[in-house]
Amino acid sequence: MDILTARLIRETKKGNEQAFAELVELYKDSVYQVIYRLVGHAQEAQDISQETFLRVYMNLDKYDLTKKFSTWLFRVATNAAIDRLRRRKPDIYLQDKIKGTDDLTYESQLTSSEDLPEQQVVKMEQQAWIQAEINQLPVKYRTIIVLKYLEDLSLKEISEIMDMPIATVKTRVHRGREALRKRMRHL
Amino acid sequence: MSTCQFYNEVIHRYLDGEATKEETAAMYQHMSSCAACEQHLKELKKSIAFIQSSSHIEAPANLTACVMSQLPKQKKVSRFKR
Repeated sequence: MDILTARLIRETKKGNEQAFAELVELYKDSVYQVIYRLVGHAQEAQDISQETFLRVYMNLDKYDLTKKFSTWLFRVATNAAIDRLRRRKPDIYLQDKIKGTDDLTYESQLTSSEDLPEQQVVKMEQQAWIQAEINQLPVKYRTIIVLKYLEDLSLKEISEIMDMPIATVKTRVHRGREALRKRMRHL
Repeated sequence: MSTCQFYNEVIHRYLDGEATKEETAAMYQHMSSCAACEQHLKELKKSIAFIQSSSHIEAPANLTACVMSQLPKQKKVSRFKR
């Protein structure tokens, strides 16, 4: 584990909240990104990210210092996201209107509403489309595809995060890739 | 197992970076006469590239502040006890 992370964890355990704030700053983008990709919804991603860091704070004593911190952190994050997905019903779709608004959709909240040049609009649409495709994947494949292709993690690290044998991870990567291919082959 | 089924498994090992040199050479050899397998690999590569073209997302600016405002307070209390 890197020296900075180790120091921040030690300080947090001693009761230094500022050290924990630094730890959150250090890891918030990668945690938020993984969770956002899994749930496909900005507000939910923020809630689950907060929940993740709170769980980390409360369970820091259980963290095994000989293991990589990000592995443990991603495990807490993916568990929290998967829990939420299981409880979620009905499913929220990007094109749904947000309650209490006239015409705001979740999709419109994905990026800022500043005036955008046309190229950027095309890019936004492409981004929403990619996210929609990720959301179509069954959760057990989605998690693995996100960790492998968006976080660029090794199969071994994914097997530690998901607490499953590497052979299972491989099967899911294969099936996840095939599922994506079947949807996208005619593009 | 048909030849194509066999190579389907090789294709996935290849994409995982786990196919041997020999397997990879045999796979390309097979594809030189099997358009279906060649197409299959092409589509898989395209799907991966599509997923990877998604932009990096940053956490909302107030995330850290929100987390910190929700921390339980007992740690501070224990400091007073000392």
